[in-house]
Amino acid sequence: MKEKLEDYALNKSMKSNSDTIKVGIIGCGTMGQELSILVSKSGIDVVFIEISEEKINSSFEGIGFQIDNIISHWGMTEGDKRAILSRIIGTTDYSKISDCNIVIESINTKKWIPNQPTRKEVFRKAEKVIDKKALLISNASTIVISDLASELEFPCRAIGVHFIAPAITTRVIEVNKCHNTNKESLDALHRFIRAIGKETIKINGTPGNISTRLIVPMINEACELLMEGVSTVAEIDKTMQMGYGMQRGPFTMADRIGLDKLTKWMEGLYNEYGDRKYKTSPIIKRMVRTGMLGSKSNNGFYIYKDGKKIEKNGSIFNLGN
Amino acid sequence: MKVLVINCGSSSIKYQLFNMKDESVLASGLVDKVGLNGSYIKNVRSDGDKVKLEGNIFDHQQGIEYVLGVLTSEKHGSIKDLKEIEAVGHRVVHGGEEFNGSVSITDEVISTMEDCVELAPLHNPPNLKGIYAVNELMPGTPQCGVFDTAFHQTMEAKSYMYAIPYALYKKHGIRRYGFHGSSHKFVSQRLSEISDIDINNSKIITCHLGNGASIAAIKNGKSVDTSMGMTPVEGLMMGTRTGDLDVGALTFIMNKEDIGLNATNTLVNKHSGVLGVSGVSSDMREVEEAAEAGNERAILALRMYEYRIKKYIGAYAAIMGGVDAIVFTGGIGENADETRENVLDGLEFLGINFNNEANKGLRGKEINLCHKDSKVQVWVIPTNEELVIARDTIEILENK
Repeated sequence: MKEKLEDYALNKSMKSNSDTIKVGIIGCGTMGQELSILVSKSGIDVVFIEISEEKINSSFEGIGFQIDNIISHWGMTEGDKRAILSRIIGTTDYSKISDCNIVIESINTKKWIPNQPTRKEVFRKAEKVIDKKALLISNASTIVISDLASELEFPCRAIGVHFIAPAITTRVIEVNKCHNTNKESLDALHRFIRAIGKETIKINGTPGNISTRLIVPMINEACELLMEGVSTVAEIDKTMQMGYGMQRGPFTMADRIGLDKLTKWMEGLYNEYGDRKYKTSPIIKRMVRTGMLGSKSNNGFYIYKDGKKIEKNGSIFNLGN
Repeated sequence: MKVLVINCGSSSIKYQLFNMKDESVLASGLVDKVGLNGSYIKNVRSDGDKVKLEGNIFDHQQGIEYVLGVLTSEKHGSIKDLKEIEAVGHRVVHGGEEFNGSVSITDEVISTMEDCVELAPLHNPPNLKGIYAVNELMPGTPQCGVFDTAFHQTMEAKSYMYAIPYALYKKHGIRRYGFHGSSHKFVSQRLSEISDIDINNSKIITCHLGNGASIAAIKNGKSVDTSMGMTPVEGLMMGTRTGDLDVGALTFIMNKEDIGLNATNTLVNKHSGVLGVSGVSSDMREVEEAAEAGNERAILALRMYEYRIKKYIGAYAAIMGGVDAIVFTGGIGENADETRENVLDGLEFLGINFNNEANKGLRGKEINLCHKDSKVQVWVIPTNEELVIARDTIEILENK
């Protein structure tokens, strides 16, 4: 026999201020997929939006693939996978996110584009369907969140949040509020971040946050060292790993981030600050043009074969055949 | 006198309402998916009335609020007024070294329990939420905390210490604590009620075999050793946990598989044990079926499971200088006749004359499985951890 729970409330007024969280994710490429997993694995329902049925299917494939990869490295179980997938819905219809109280824009633009018209469009479309208190979050590392918020009806709900990849395992999240963001929105965001088991790093409105602004010049400088013939890719990585206890050296990191994505970060930062230290290194430009994007294309500063990283002999432009 | 027993998990709340006059259960139930979508309460009343209530349950406090609502409701309730509940007993997983018995919950106790969170980061916080909620909803009602670790606090240092630098014990409390205390306590006491064994003058080995499993050596009513350690990973092979594992092998695995702490934790807690070896399931019945169909890894997993228990029985008989009784309890201990048979096979030298006829097909019944002339008795005793919590709660209340 099934009945409604509400009929059995004690006489006291039942607390309902701690609403359950539901998250909308707009754009479900690699990062959107990671975010879907991260949020769903904390028991929170996710609705992601993609532009076509094909994209939805390939996003689900990507999510499955990412979880299988975690399982094969012992980080989750098949039971976890079933539970995670059961909480994720994919759609092309914006009205399906109307009951989400947090909406994360995670669209993947091929190039760095000034003024971000696509992201603004996404924000506007989302704002039309969601509650006026729901948060609108942009997961982008180098854009100016105030720019995005400027065209919203309620800009106080816009926040820039940088989920550092791999988002599932990285323990910190950078939160970049814009000048309009109100306390209520920030509190709601912090509740969400705690609910997904992460820590907040508060940032005072700067494109590139902490992580991107520090990693970009280091990778650029590593490329300088390489171009000057000071040392090799593997030796430079090893120096930073063993010398400074970094988990990964700059080139391994660049390969993991993806050189195309890195280029976008560099262009964004260079455009904002005009400082040479952010200007994309010619090596990286050339590699991206050649289709060498890092681990995702199995070829970057290293070759990737059967899940293993292999040092290149001779020039980096060796295609590894 | 009525006592409510509450066991809060990360997203669930189990509860039982006892009438302690005759220790009968007035109602029992489960709140599931707390804070998640699809949350519900299932309540069963002593007269067989069953109900499932569906709706939003945002946190433990709200879950408990609804439970109290159901228990006092006209339609499915068991009591008329909340005032009838004279005390609430909570299960708390880790009591560290601070708690060697059940306690009456005060602000000071709560703050000590908050300090123990570090030792059981997954289990203790929800236990505490239950306590906060009752504080809020039933102010003034006495509450009692019953710890899984408390019964084993009688272990001597030689059995609870790890052979690691002493400073680590001092600094972080790294030592063996043991778990399933309420269950080991219940079945050993129950044994002395239903047999001629004197709890104060006996050597008992209790095997709690459920999805988690532990074994305890109980001498003169006190736990002198148990197989789980600082965490529930140590000791027997379990459904999905490794049990004893060479830590050298673990660091080797972490290096070879390039995995961090989280994945390692999942590996030893969720991917291992009967599931990891058999590749079939963590559910013993499914593994037994696969073994019957000739699945070699399922057979291996079962033999390993039994072997580890047998090894511990031998060790505990040695440390106590013999054994008077062995008790099987928990889902597997109470139901898996083949497991019991294989564990005891070859232990005649200890003085066990096992009656396999009585054992075959026996599920969940309180019975002595040995022939009359057996020096050692072997019992199946269904566990009842909730009743231990209710009894402790009453005892503390009366001695206050």
